Amino acid sequence: MPDPTPSEERLELSAPATPEMLDLVHEVLQRLWVARPDVGEPDRVRFEMAVIEVLGNIVEHAYELERPGGERRFDVSLCAGGDDLVATFGDNGVPAALDLSDVTMPGEDAESGRGLALTAAVVDDLAYERVGDRNHWRLVCHRHDG
Amino acid sequence: MIEFDVSTTAEGIGVVVPRGRLNMVSARQLKERLDELVSAGTTRIVVDMAETTFLDSSGLGALIAGLKAARQAGGDLRVARPTEAVMTVFRLTNLDKVLRPRDDVEGAFGA
Repeated sequence: MPDPTPSEERLELSAPATPEMLDLVHEVLQRLWVARPDVGEPDRVRFEMAVIEVLGNIVEHAYELERPGGERRFDVSLCAGGDDLVATFGDNGVPAALDLSDVTMPGEDAESGRGLALTAAVVDDLAYERVGDRNHWRLVCHRHDG
Repeated sequence: MIEFDVSTTAEGIGVVVPRGRLNMVSARQLKERLDELVSAGTTRIVVDMAETTFLDSSGLGALIAGLKAARQAGGDLRVARPTEAVMTVFRLTNLDKVLRPRDDVEGAFGA
């Protein structure tokens, strides 16, 4: 008999931290949903939004201090389990100067600065840590489709 | 991946149709398309989002930049037919009140 609650599905990717890689991560997410058709559409939307915003943040930081000879890379792990959708990111960019406890939505005519506020609004947990010369991010969306 | 259809109606309204995902890469392209329209004198613009499957904060930024440019030139930018994914982002950022999505492209600048 097939297991009615499949074990977690995890997909990983390591790539240069360039904006073009965002589309690749969208594609990896598509593969994750094919492997886990039980994840509901609203949860997919929330998770994809948060993953792309955090990645956008990483890519922007990688661009800020382009240093010759040192390639900026990120790795991402996307995991769909029975209760949670979890994404972890690592990158060798500059340290992110931010306070996750004080993320606010900017005014309505702002053209930037909404990324982390949007992420904070859709995730159940968001953590950032600088370890050595690497940034580590972890975000969790509890599934509401059960 | 994204494609943009850009056309102008008989009434002189610019219609931009982003087909695909509006993320950091495609937001730059959208901003360029909107800037080109406004620079060419087409200051009333409808962004038809019926085929926009994903929108992030950079895509939002491009819409707001286009809105400001159009208004400064005496026109306006309106959003029509957002998908549920797009509408979710508008609501979460409180921009649904600013962008006030319309149900159809033709009536976006109607009475």
